[in-house]
Amino acid sequence: MKIIAKGLEHYYAHEHVLRGIDLNIEPGSFTAIVGESGSGKTTLLSILSTLLQPSSGEVLYDAKLLAQWGNIDLFRRRHIGFVFQFHYLISYLTLRENIALASLGEFQGEIDPLMERLGIDRLGRRYSDEVSGGERQRAAIARSLINHPSIVFADEPTGNLDTKNALGVYELFAEFSRQNTTFVVASHDKKITEFADTIIEMEDGIVKNIFTR
Amino acid sequence: MITPLKALRKNRFKTVLIFISMSVSICAIFLISAISGGVVGMFSSMLKTDGDIIVTQKGIADTFFSDINATLVKPISHMEGVKEVSALILGAAPVDALPIVGIYGVSEGRFKSYHLTHGHYPSRGEVLLGSKIDDTLKHPSSIILSKKTFHVSGVFKSRIGFEDGGVVMGLSDGGELFHKSASIILISLNDLSKSDSVKDQVQMLSADLEAKTTDSFIDSYNQFKIIKTSSDVIGAMAFLMGILGIVSMMSMVVNDRKGEFGIMRSIGLSSRVIILKLLSETLIVAVVAFFVAWGISEGVLELIEHADKFQGYINGEITTVLLIKVFMVSVVMALFGTFMPALYASRIDPMSLIQKDRA
Ligand SMILES: Nc1ncnc2c1ncn2[C@@H]1O[C@H](COP(=O)(O)OP(=O)(O)O)[C@@H](O)[C@H]1O
Ligand SMILES: [Mg+2]
Repeated sequence: MKIIAKGLEHYYAHEHVLRGIDLNIEPGSFTAIVGESGSGKTTLLSILSTLLQPSSGEVLYDAKLLAQWGNIDLFRRRHIGFVFQFHYLISYLTLRENIALASLGEFQGEIDPLMERLGIDRLGRRYSDEVSGGERQRAAIARSLINHPSIVFADEPTGNLDTKNALGVYELFAEFSRQNTTFVVASHDKKITEFADTIIEMEDGIVKNIFTR
Repeated sequence: MITPLKALRKNRFKTVLIFISMSVSICAIFLISAISGGVVGMFSSMLKTDGDIIVTQKGIADTFFSDINATLVKPISHMEGVKEVSALILGAAPVDALPIVGIYGVSEGRFKSYHLTHGHYPSRGEVLLGSKIDDTLKHPSSIILSKKTFHVSGVFKSRIGFEDGGVVMGLSDGGELFHKSASIILISLNDLSKSDSVKDQVQMLSADLEAKTTDSFIDSYNQFKIIKTSSDVIGAMAFLMGILGIVSMMSMVVNDRKGEFGIMRSIGLSSRVIILKLLSETLIVAVVAFFVAWGISEGVLELIEHADKFQGYINGEITTVLLIKVFMVSVVMALFGTFMPALYASRIDPMSLIQKDRA
């Protein structure tokens, strides 16, 4: 899915945190949004991912506004996956049940192969407090990928992981993006730039630089 | 089905609180309805035993105050369609150490409706005791009623608590005791279609009489209306308390589980799905609470029925109709109580998940 953002501005109360952002996200890219803490990465990602309405400007998904896609729940469920900093699995469900909860009927059969691919197939019946941080985040990634979304948004997905697990997560994103899933990842971890193919550098609410590999 | 059960187990402390609050409300509704229904039911079945039509003094508030002439029995018994007529005195008086006991003066023909466990029907100066009062007074051979001594001629057993805890005597003894010849006259018909014409003819006998079918008498009887209204009010209060209990507990539950509902919204589960999930959780609790409350209520009613203190005056029965009604009330209680918190849950902004990890 191609995303085009035009003239995005955002205020929290009187704080002007996004100050005119224009960018394109190409289908199948692995885009990293990097920058100092407070530069507006999370705000930008929230707007791109439908969670937040910009104060002004617009976002087009395959040339259509969100409103033109119809039901927002269905749009999220079919086209968008989320990965958050804290894994945000539902604690009373097993890892497998968490993935199944998100899964549309037609993808139920892919839960097990996907878990195997992410190396958590043996943990399907465990609860999130019975596995490691890296394994939890893998389960969250599996949940974000189960419905073959066009695009996955992640905000600081490795913020709670050690270096080894963080690199594992970036590798997964790179691998799935080669198979045409788009990833947009906000992170203040410099390591991500070694895996992403597009790097958007934020500073004080504007895009300072865009590199493409 | 698995998911709501897991959610309930995970939040077991609050689940238990919701369960207790629902059970208490449902129990209260069961008990108040069963007991008031029981009191009304006992009295009505006593009247219905051999009365299709009931004749009282016009405009009295309570049958205890009714005073009519027992000699009317004769002309009424000659009316077309009438099978049997009996006069009845209803009174209450202290008996031995018991402060208040139901006293029934009945015409001889009505004695046969009391099933004697021993002894014989009373003649003048004698009484029958209900088995309950006989037990309470430890099987006396005579009792003192309004300073007069009566010999106990026998003991009868009745399903109707009022009667089982009461004293039965002949109409003339009752008349002397309460200074009237009859309180009410009960008419049973062999042809129910004659009921209107019999009523009219009775009312022609004296302007001071009022004849009603037993059913409409029971419906319009003031004491019953008071009992029913108070039980409805108490029941409604229990229902409201139940709803409030659920609302406050569910609001806390939803607050505890904000993150969970945010996730559900972010993975694209619709508001409807989230509301249904929460409703199904409380519905499960409601159904369990219903059955537990039913069991407890049956136990309590059993205890009350056998408590000497109440002399069997209070006995409630949980009928099928009551069961169905209370079941529906429980379901409605769960749905009403959960709806607002569930609506709130379904509108939780998934943005809160990101804001929380604002770096
Ligand atoms: N909900 C909010 N209310 C008020 N200010 C906010 C809110 N969220 C973020 N901000 C402010 O907006 C700016 C950008 O924040 P954010 O988008 O989270 O940046 P980053 O993710 O790069 O750290 C910061 O100054 C932050 O304090
Ligand atoms: Mg951030």
